[in-house]
Amino acid sequence: MVNLKIDGRDIEIAKGATILAAAEKAGINIPTLCFLKKISPTGACRICVVEIEGADKPMTACNTLAINGMVVTTQSEKLHKIRRQVMQLMLVNHPLDCPVCDAGGECDLQDSCYGLDVDTQRFEGENLNHEDISNWPLIQQIPSRCILCEKCVKVCHELVGASALAVHNPGEAAYIDTVDGKPLDCEFCGNCVAVCPTGTLNSKPFKFKARPWALRKTPTVCTFCPSHCQIDINVQNNEIYRITSDDEGTTNNGNLCIGGFFSYGYVNHAERLTQPLIDQQPVSWDQAFDRLVETIENLRSSDGPQVFAGLGSPHLSNEENYLFQKMFRVAIGSNNIDSEARFGAMRSLRATEAVLGLRGASNLLSAIGKAEAVLVFGADPTAEAPAVDWQVQNACRRNDAKLIVAGMRKVKLSKFANVSLTCKPGTELELANGISRLLYERNLLDSDYLNQYLENPDELKSHLDSIDLDAISSATGVSRPQLEEAADTLGAARTVAIIFGADVTRSARGYEKSIAISDLAILSGALRGGDAGGLFPLDEKGNIQGMLDMGVCPEYLPGYQPYAESRERFGKAWKTELPEGGLDAMGILEGIEAGNVKFLYLAATNPLSFPNANRWRKALEKVDVLVVQDILPTEVTRLATVVLPGASYAEKGGSVTSLDHRVRSLEKAISSPGEAREDWEIFAGLYGRLQKQAVSISRSEILAEVSSLSSLYGDICFVGDERNRPCFKQPYRPAPKGLKYQAPQVDEVETGLQLVSRKSIYHFGTTSTWSAGPLEVEAEGVIHVSPADAATAGVIDGGRAKLTSRQGSTSGPVKVDENLPAGLVFAPYHFAELGIQALLADGSNRIGVELTKGG
Amino acid sequence: MAEVIFSSWGREIVDNRKGQPKPLSELQIKLPAQYLEEGEVKAFIGWDGFILLDKKVDVVAMAAEYMKRVQEKYCCGKCTPGKKGTRVLQDTLERILAGHGQEEDLQTIEDLALLLENCKCTLCMTAAVPVFDTIRYFREDYLAYTRGEKTPVNGLRYTDKLTAPCMDRCPAHIDIPAYIEEIKDRRFEESLDVIRRNMPIPAVCGRVCPHPCETACRRALVDEPISIMVLKRVAADHEWMHHKQPPMKPAPARGKTICVVGGGPAGISAAYYLALDGFKVTVLDMLPEPGGTVAVGIPDYRMPRDLLRREYEIVEALGVEIKYNTKLGVDVSLKELKEQYDAVFLGVGAFRSKPMGVEGEDAGYEGFSEGGINYLRAVALGQPIETGKRVIVVGGGNTAIDCVRVALREGAEDSILIYRRTRKEMPAESYEVDDADEEGVQFEFLRNPTRLIHENGKVTGVEVVVMELGEPDESGRRRPAPVPGSEYIIPCDMVIPAIGQDPDLSFLEQDDLGIETTRWSTIVTKGGVLMTDSEGVFAAGDCEIGPMTVVAAVGQARRAALAMSRWLTEGKAYRDDADAMEDLVAELGVFDKNENTGLFGGLHREHQPKVNGIERARSYDEIELAMPESQAVTEAERCLRCYRVGMIAVG
Repeated sequence: MVNLKIDGRDIEIAKGATILAAAEKAGINIPTLCFLKKISPTGACRICVVEIEGADKPMTACNTLAINGMVVTTQSEKLHKIRRQVMQLMLVNHPLDCPVCDAGGECDLQDSCYGLDVDTQRFEGENLNHEDISNWPLIQQIPSRCILCEKCVKVCHELVGASALAVHNPGEAAYIDTVDGKPLDCEFCGNCVAVCPTGTLNSKPFKFKARPWALRKTPTVCTFCPSHCQIDINVQNNEIYRITSDDEGTTNNGNLCIGGFFSYGYVNHAERLTQPLIDQQPVSWDQAFDRLVETIENLRSSDGPQVFAGLGSPHLSNEENYLFQKMFRVAIGSNNIDSEARFGAMRSLRATEAVLGLRGASNLLSAIGKAEAVLVFGADPTAEAPAVDWQVQNACRRNDAKLIVAGMRKVKLSKFANVSLTCKPGTELELANGISRLLYERNLLDSDYLNQYLENPDELKSHLDSIDLDAISSATGVSRPQLEEAADTLGAARTVAIIFGADVTRSARGYEKSIAISDLAILSGALRGGDAGGLFPLDEKGNIQGMLDMGVCPEYLPGYQPYAESRERFGKAWKTELPEGGLDAMGILEGIEAGNVKFLYLAATNPLSFPNANRWRKALEKVDVLVVQDILPTEVTRLATVVLPGASYAEKGGSVTSLDHRVRSLEKAISSPGEAREDWEIFAGLYGRLQKQAVSISRSEILAEVSSLSSLYGDICFVGDERNRPCFKQPYRPAPKGLKYQAPQVDEVETGLQLVSRKSIYHFGTTSTWSAGPLEVEAEGVIHVSPADAATAGVIDGGRAKLTSRQGSTSGPVKVDENLPAGLVFAPYHFAELGIQALLADGSNRIGVELTKGG
Repeated sequence: MAEVIFSSWGREIVDNRKGQPKPLSELQIKLPAQYLEEGEVKAFIGWDGFILLDKKVDVVAMAAEYMKRVQEKYCCGKCTPGKKGTRVLQDTLERILAGHGQEEDLQTIEDLALLLENCKCTLCMTAAVPVFDTIRYFREDYLAYTRGEKTPVNGLRYTDKLTAPCMDRCPAHIDIPAYIEEIKDRRFEESLDVIRRNMPIPAVCGRVCPHPCETACRRALVDEPISIMVLKRVAADHEWMHHKQPPMKPAPARGKTICVVGGGPAGISAAYYLALDGFKVTVLDMLPEPGGTVAVGIPDYRMPRDLLRREYEIVEALGVEIKYNTKLGVDVSLKELKEQYDAVFLGVGAFRSKPMGVEGEDAGYEGFSEGGINYLRAVALGQPIETGKRVIVVGGGNTAIDCVRVALREGAEDSILIYRRTRKEMPAESYEVDDADEEGVQFEFLRNPTRLIHENGKVTGVEVVVMELGEPDESGRRRPAPVPGSEYIIPCDMVIPAIGQDPDLSFLEQDDLGIETTRWSTIVTKGGVLMTDSEGVFAAGDCEIGPMTVVAAVGQARRAALAMSRWLTEGKAYRDDADAMEDLVAELGVFDKNENTGLFGGLHREHQPKVNGIERARSYDEIELAMPESQAVTEAERCLRCYRVGMIAVG
């Protein structure tokens, strides 16, 4: 600790803290302008100068460290004069366009001038302001308003790691542009706009649309991905104008990605579903419910409850998913419920459960940032969960952690990696096994830990003994020294975070690969707990964790209680007898094809975005009754017997659960368009009618029921009727002898040119393709081809290509991508027109393809 | 003889406008009277005032030009007073010069000059100093303009220079503030790019440089100097620790060939810059492996060989061919090289041990090493050499220290250093003496060997005489003198003399091509461009300076490479403005150890972790461990970015 005196007050503060931090602690206000707590101090504006006894010159409080015995004065005539004159200089050549400046009313420069009595100007100089830069997508830069605080440059470089911006030119001609002066081509996270203290960096979609003071802010959670950043929806006249986030008091420190910042456009889209439809004709809710009840009752009495099936959704809240599964199991009497998690998240969940007793991530996201080594395995966190990307950078760029990026392709985080292990597509399992074997072979295991927690050391030993490293190197294409460097890096670290994602879980053998990575988590000590490290399976969908927690799958009741074993107990609580068995998504698909499933309820989910989309399309065309509850018209709503218009996240309350098990509240910022209703109201309405009783269900009652039936949500805390305080589920702690090593099954790997369907960093499911923001950056599905494969097929950058798999074919524009290894073709799955999911086989994101020119 | 009209340099006012001008030599300011071949130096304006050598110089015009260059060329624009203040100053001065100024403008200039004290770094801050001086002492000249009595007369040529105390003191003139700033901004690759502009072997100089820059670090005037060398290592290590490829690409081929003789720091640096410049370079080296004296003269625990090899691979990737086991004067003659190549660079180093001049040293006793540098080379190359159990090394320089430490690692039970003066006078870097001490080396100070003792041709001891320190000699160190009759014998089974090295210039014996050498056996070059008396033959590094440092060799080799390029493409080896200004400010001096910075300090410098003495004493593993990058950022944040701009007026 350090003791100093500021303005006569004694202050004690941690060593390494600045004078500014010490003053803040004591409640002493030092004016600042370029200072931003979440980045390194810049010292550009010089407004925060203070006098220090023993120093002849004033020094800046933002970047001068507090020293024992320091005596600081923050207010004096001398300092005031300096601050005023510096502000006057800052205003030289600053345009007086405040009336039409977007920052008006929330401009730090205005506030500083006001606060420092800067009401005259004595300086003048030649105006060298660079002209406005208007040719960037989504963002406009107006250099004349810039005060060169560098917040944008630093947020982009230090926190986002895109490093897209730079200061150009010396002297008064200095201005901020992209590094190469070409139009901005970055992640378009909007954080530069968010931190700009003036009207220099502007969001084009927001520009000139609203005055900041006229906007009403509703704090809620962004559910585009499972990071669940805390945001404020800025609303005027029931329309979303922008999304903001506070630096203080949020787990995302005010940082957002393109999803949070620029992708809200779909909510107020003119084509939103506003009325229930029967056979595509508008009807009232009563008519829609009556028709549904009648259909369900008739079909149940003619064919029995087993012909009903439903797919839930990670777009829906915990309460909604809970009601959905309960309605199916209790009111309809069918356990044929599942979701898209079947083709990804369920695989990692079942694997981590089998090996580790873990369902989801083992620790908080912040624990990634504190780990000494981070392994990113078959994941692109930038696309799948951007807050994980930021934490990985926290670890390796600020806290001296080592980063290993493993997988079949380079991702953005690869540029920060100490070790990059690029394996042949589909050999992730072998790669994980290779690292495990080397940890064992090179004595890098913590035997005390294993003795305490591992149930089956013999199995571990016999499996690892059987691994042939030469075979692994040849199968994966990763050299022995690279593998050794990775193992040594993990072995040397006291705390390890392992992150794995879609390239593992959504691929063929996703379960087995997840087993191998869970084993690696045991061996590397990633599960030791504490506030650093952990195992983090990623799935890109917003409330996938909450949906699974609520039991939207045939094998689990809420809280992962095994269906068969807990059926009776739940039946008792729910005062009914629950059905036996139950079909998963593949079973439902086959059931429709065989004519055994005749009723399908799609709750905010679109199976045409699942792998082998054409097979699903045929099934949807075939099924007798198709109920679609969604917010936007799609090919699926057009096939539907009954369409129920639901609500977007901005139009509802409810709780959602992040990938690191934080349970937070959605807040209703606007009302739904037309007749559209919150999804839980729809479920409750239908449920009540099916049960022949008026159901009045409040959200807190639902959560209370969840809490009473499952210890998983036992600690949920309520504030008032309809809100829960942000809180955590029960944290994961491995039990003594609770880890069970499993030898993963090895299978043949498909070779030849491989298509991988992937998530883009700019889009989120199919929803964001309704938002103008991300469409401005990525308007259509583009096929990414490596230079070598492009040359072989004779396709060129900007040209078109045709992809043909054994399932189907499609064609689209081509980008020749230097970052792609030869043998891999990438295409985003978001775009219906490209329809890449139709080329895939059941349940896998990868398939052999032929690439040809044209199409 | 140049005369001073006025000077405010160093805050000391010399005003001879009314009296008799004084010779420049009386002023203790080292400013040349002549600049290149262009003319006389008329004035100098810079961070610490201005010096006027000619009455006719228009001080107002000079101040305006200086501020214009500061604002338009050097001001980084990254703080408000600097960015805006120097612009207002520039425009105000230009307005006055154009005859549109008013007297109150002078007040604005003075106020701004004081406000610039609050700049983020010293560039704009110090640039205000001489401008303030011109108003204070040449106010009438300004008023003549504002009254419309004067118009600018030109005819002077101005040349400017950005420097900093550390950058000036570094023999390679690395832009130290720039690379430290990049580290502060967590841009390690960019930092390395800056370093490589002047330093092609950053992983080496980030480890073994005696870092003279740190003796000129202004932060030392506040608390402690910045760990400049270690920050360089952090930037260099970041690249290989992330398996990144260096970004350099050679210019298009110029179709000319150059032979570089000697693959040490001088040779490889010359090869690097010449290859980048588009020349086809072949390096000849007498050793079987890369690195020259760094490989065989600096032990692996200070400079790991794999990292040294990586530096050479990077240079080879630029198209440089290195031929090992090829010695000039043995395998090929200088005359042949001159005929075969368009130009020749001599960087043959200084690796011939000097004799001690004691009885028995040329008798060929078993256990007597020819010299410290030979001993280190034999160990480094894995040649069969037997290190004794009780080893005596004679000398006080870095080679002597390396020898005693290597002897420990080679199995010596006692490793003893004998030096004729005391620890204080040792030329070796003090931290290396401390390192040796921690590892268990024994020191015998104020002893000088007089005779080797042997039994049957095998060394059994050395007779030494006790020394006393007398009056200081020309080097400023107290001269040691033997105490008569104080001789005694120290038993040992190995003696390694390490009292200095000379270049081996035996290759000149066949045909010296007119190349002049000194009595210290170094090559003479001329005109600050490192060319010998033989046209097209250049020399740099230890063979030109005498045994010095890696960084000195690199700095010289870079200068030589630039001159060679000009000689090959323009037919003339000459210094350009950048070279001349570099030399000029170096002579003037940039670091002022008596400066009052006016800042509050209290921060310690950051150190890289080190393996403890006992643990490391028997191992060749690197003893200094990598400084974590976050710690490097903390250290970089202490840097005061002491840039300053000087400008000379020539007419």
